[in-house]
Amino acid sequence: MRHLSRFALCGAGSILALLGPSPASGAEPGLELPTYTRAYEPRTVDERGVWMEADEAERGLRDSPLRIREAGLEAYLREVLCREVGTERCAGVRIYAMEIPGFNASMMANGTMQVWSGLLLRSRSEAELAAVLGHEFAHFELRHSLTGFQQRRRATDAIAWIGVWGALTNRDTSSTQSIIERGIYRYGREQETDADLLGLQYAALSGYPASTPSEVWKNLMAEEDASAAGRNQKPKQKYTAGYFDSHPTHLKRSIYLAEAAAKMPPGGDARAKEYRAAMAPYLPRFLAAQIKRNDFGGTEHILQSLAADSGWGPDLLFARAELYRTRGNPRDLQVAAQYYREARAAGYMGAELDRNLGLALLRNGQADEGRQSLNAYLTAMPEASDAKMIRALVAN
Amino acid sequence: MTRLLIGLSMGLAAMSPAAANSLVSAGPRPNIAGSSFSAAPVDEWNRLSRKDGKNVEIWTRDGDQLNKVTFFGGIPSGKPLVREIDKKRQPLPKVAADMLITDIPVMLESTYRIQYAVSQMDIDSQEPATLGGHKAIRFTYRFAREDDGVRRKGEAIGAFVGGKLYLVTYEAPALYFFDKDVEKYRKLAATLAL
Ligand SMILES: [Zn+2]
Repeated sequence: MRHLSRFALCGAGSILALLGPSPASGAEPGLELPTYTRAYEPRTVDERGVWMEADEAERGLRDSPLRIREAGLEAYLREVLCREVGTERCAGVRIYAMEIPGFNASMMANGTMQVWSGLLLRSRSEAELAAVLGHEFAHFELRHSLTGFQQRRRATDAIAWIGVWGALTNRDTSSTQSIIERGIYRYGREQETDADLLGLQYAALSGYPASTPSEVWKNLMAEEDASAAGRNQKPKQKYTAGYFDSHPTHLKRSIYLAEAAAKMPPGGDARAKEYRAAMAPYLPRFLAAQIKRNDFGGTEHILQSLAADSGWGPDLLFARAELYRTRGNPRDLQVAAQYYREARAAGYMGAELDRNLGLALLRNGQADEGRQSLNAYLTAMPEASDAKMIRALVAN
Repeated sequence: MTRLLIGLSMGLAAMSPAAANSLVSAGPRPNIAGSSFSAAPVDEWNRLSRKDGKNVEIWTRDGDQLNKVTFFGGIPSGKPLVREIDKKRQPLPKVAADMLITDIPVMLESTYRIQYAVSQMDIDSQEPATLGGHKAIRFTYRFAREDDGVRRKGEAIGAFVGGKLYLVTYEAPALYFFDKDVEKYRKLAATLAL
C-alpha cells in the first residue's frame, strides 16, 4: 500500500484475468498458506541494501515525534495483526503507530510495520484494520520489497511516483527523502494482486469475515466521491486523472476481492465492539486532526460511516459540530450549535464544548447566547491557556 | 549536545537556498508583504526571494529552517494564507469576512496541516494584544512536520483590519533555536505598524 494525499492506494491493475489460482497458494484459491520462513535474513547484495535502509528508516520511526507512544496502542495493533496472520507469522514484526492523517499502513523488509492514524480513524472494526495490515504483511511475506527497491533506484531521476504524495512533497525547501517516505515501498500491479489474494487467505483463516477486504475498498471509494462532491468536483475525475490512468480504480480491486471471498468460508465476528473500545481514547484526537484537513465532504462521510456502525455518540456529534463550525457558513454555524447541544445531551463532558458553542454563536451574531456559553467555559476553566483571549471576547 | 546542535544547524541550513536572499537593513521598512505593514527593525535580517503567496514575505537571520519570520499582509476574504499547491486535492481554508479573531490560529494550523504535512500541531497560549492600534490576538504554538520530524515552536500576532487578515509569525526549532532568537523577533514585532 502506498500513500496518496489521503489514501494509500496500492496499484491494483486490471487483473481479473489473473483470478483463480493464487500464485502464492497452488491450486484452488484455497486456504492453505505457503510455508513461512521465520527470522529470514537477507541473502544478496541488493537485499542487504534494502535491509540497511529499512533499519535506518526504522530508527527514524522509532524516535519520531509523530509516533503515538501511549501504552497499549501499538500492542493492540499487534494483537490484531497476530489474529489476522497467525502467531507464527507475526512473531518478528515491530509495529509503529504514527500520527499521520492519511489512510496508510506499510511494511519494510526487516519486519517493521508503520500504521497511520488515518487508517485507524477510518476503520470500523478489527476486521477492516486487519484487512489492510494483512495485505501489507503479504507484501512482506512475498518479499516484494526487493523489487520495490530496484524499481525505486531506477526511478531516482524522475521520482515521479512521489509526485502523487500530496502534502509530503509540499516542502518549502528541498530536502532529502524523509524517514516516512523511506519506509514505504513501491509495488507493481502483479505484486498488489498477489498481496491482495494472500491477504484474503489470511483473512479467511483468521476468523474475521472474508468479505471485509472488499468492503474496505468500497468505503474508500465512497469517501473519495464524498470528498469530491464536497468540493464541487465530479466524483469520476478522481479515478481517471494522472496517476490513476496507469493504476486504475479501487473498483476492480473491490470486485475481485469480493469474488474470491465468495469462494471462501464466510468467517465470523468482525470485532467492531472491541475495536471501538480500543480506539475510544484516541478517537477525539484523530477526529480533530481530520476536521482540520479542510475536506468537508470526506470528513462528513467518515463521521456518517462511523455513526452507521456505532450510533451518534458524544464524540461523533462534537466532531460534526466542529466540522460545520469550521466550514463556517451562516447555516453551518446554526447547525453546529445544534450538534454541540446534542453532543452535550449525549454526555459530552469537556468544557471546550461551551467555548466552541459560544464561538459559533458569536460568529453567527448571537452575541448574548454566545457570551453565556463562553462564560460557562471560563467558569469551568478559569486558568485555560486561552482564557485571557476568551475573556476579552466576552468583554467586547 | 553541542555536536547535536551543530549537526542540526548544518543539516537544516544546508536546505536553505541562501543565495536568493536580499538584505533588510536596520531602519524603517514600509510596504512589507505588498501591504500596509511596516516595521523598523533594529538589526539586520534577510528577506527570502521565495514567495509563498502574493501577500507573504519571509525574513530570516540564519536560514528559514533555523529562524523564520513570516508576514501575511492583508489577506482578503476568499483567499488562503499561502498559495495553494494543489487546489483540487488539497484546497486550503480561506479567509472569511465574519471570522472571529480566535479563528486566526485555527486557520494557520489548518493551513500548515494541509500544505506542509504537519500532522501534530498545538496552539498553546492565546491572549488579547494590539497590532498597529487594532485589536489583535497573540498566540504561541508547537508543531512537527512529517518530512523532517523536527519539533518547532512558533509565536504570532494577528488581526483583522478592514476585513483583511494581517498576521506575523516567528518559528524556529524548539531545541535551542527558538529561544536564541525570540527576543529579536519580539523587538521587531514591537515596531510593527499598519
Ligand atoms: Zn499493496
